[in-house]
Amino acid sequence: MSNLPIGKTRMSTSRMSKVLMWLGASALALFVVLGLDPSTAYAAADHAASQAAEGTANTFHNSKGAAFVFWAFAFASIGGSIFVITRSNMVTAVMGMVGTFFAIAGLYLMFYASFLAVMQVLVYAGAIMVLFVFVIMILNRPEEEPWAVQGILGKGIAALGVLYLFKRLAGILWQVKDTHPLIVDKAALNVEVVLNHADPALASGAAEAITRTYEFGTVQGVGYTLFSKYLFPFEAVSIVLLVAVVGAIAIARPREDEDEADEAATKEAS
Amino acid sequence: MSVFYDLTVSHFLVLAAALFAIGIAGVLLRRNALIVMMSIELMLNAANITVLAFSRGFAGNHEAAYQGQAFALVVIAIAAAEAAVGLAIVVTIFRTRRHTDIDRLTMLKD
Repeated sequence: MSNLPIGKTRMSTSRMSKVLMWLGASALALFVVLGLDPSTAYAAADHAASQAAEGTANTFHNSKGAAFVFWAFAFASIGGSIFVITRSNMVTAVMGMVGTFFAIAGLYLMFYASFLAVMQVLVYAGAIMVLFVFVIMILNRPEEEPWAVQGILGKGIAALGVLYLFKRLAGILWQVKDTHPLIVDKAALNVEVVLNHADPALASGAAEAITRTYEFGTVQGVGYTLFSKYLFPFEAVSIVLLVAVVGAIAIARPREDEDEADEAATKEAS
Repeated sequence: MSVFYDLTVSHFLVLAAALFAIGIAGVLLRRNALIVMMSIELMLNAANITVLAFSRGFAGNHEAAYQGQAFALVVIAIAAAEAAVGLAIVVTIFRTRRHTDIDRLTMLKD
């Protein structure tokens, strides 16, 4: 019972998901090859363009290459997420999700958030999706009909509602205009930190305060913010993670009476 | 067509809105609990993109550019905790009920 034959469509869909995953991964690898930073590849063109035209200060990168990269990531993420909610084979859906996460990591790189992009790949595509694959391997049950015929009216209304929500949301967000001129030069975003005498990071015996520059988006820059101004949320998140670990073990732990019910259910199913 | 190559913050925001709408559609239309959880992860990611786009696009030289990144890290950690607990619940439901069909999980309703 637990080894249901999987349909013939499995091969083609998993191949499509592989193509999708490699699309996202190779686009990300392109960024890594370019130096983990889109600004290095396009900085010269950006600088020239922004100096040439004063009125284009509110655009993100004034180059067509950056726009091409954005559209590639946008199509990869949208396609992957549509893949997730339409496939009946769950491993295929997970592969689409991994492709989506790679594409979203690429979008983070376009914001110069290189540390967050690495975290996205490590935590989401690495840890969480592996957890999903583990659970899918435990369950090992492909869906017979992913889109139920019963209640089709309610689901049609739900789909229309989602479409309307997207229309309104996109309509509002498209009106958003930049109020501040956007700084294309990444170095201008670096944070200046003045270390005073009480700071343990300061070498002992220094007479004057030292100014250090942390690069934007790196571990140093994010870590300084996280450990100075946002220390309490950081500690609170660690407690949340501890509670989640204990809770997950407490929920999923097999109990004695459940073991008997488990065996009975297995016998009944087979 | 300058809308295609003059990237603004709005491009990223609309992309995030599309991902969020697809996530909602997955939650509402699918019956498998695992797909529903993946759709929730998708919505959290869309929210993260929005946070980063606003902090990067409007911060300029301000400190807010870092606040968005710190906030996004917190969201990633919460998503990891949510996935762990949610998958534990799915495994427990499967162990007692032999399915993870959320349309048939009406124990509290009946």
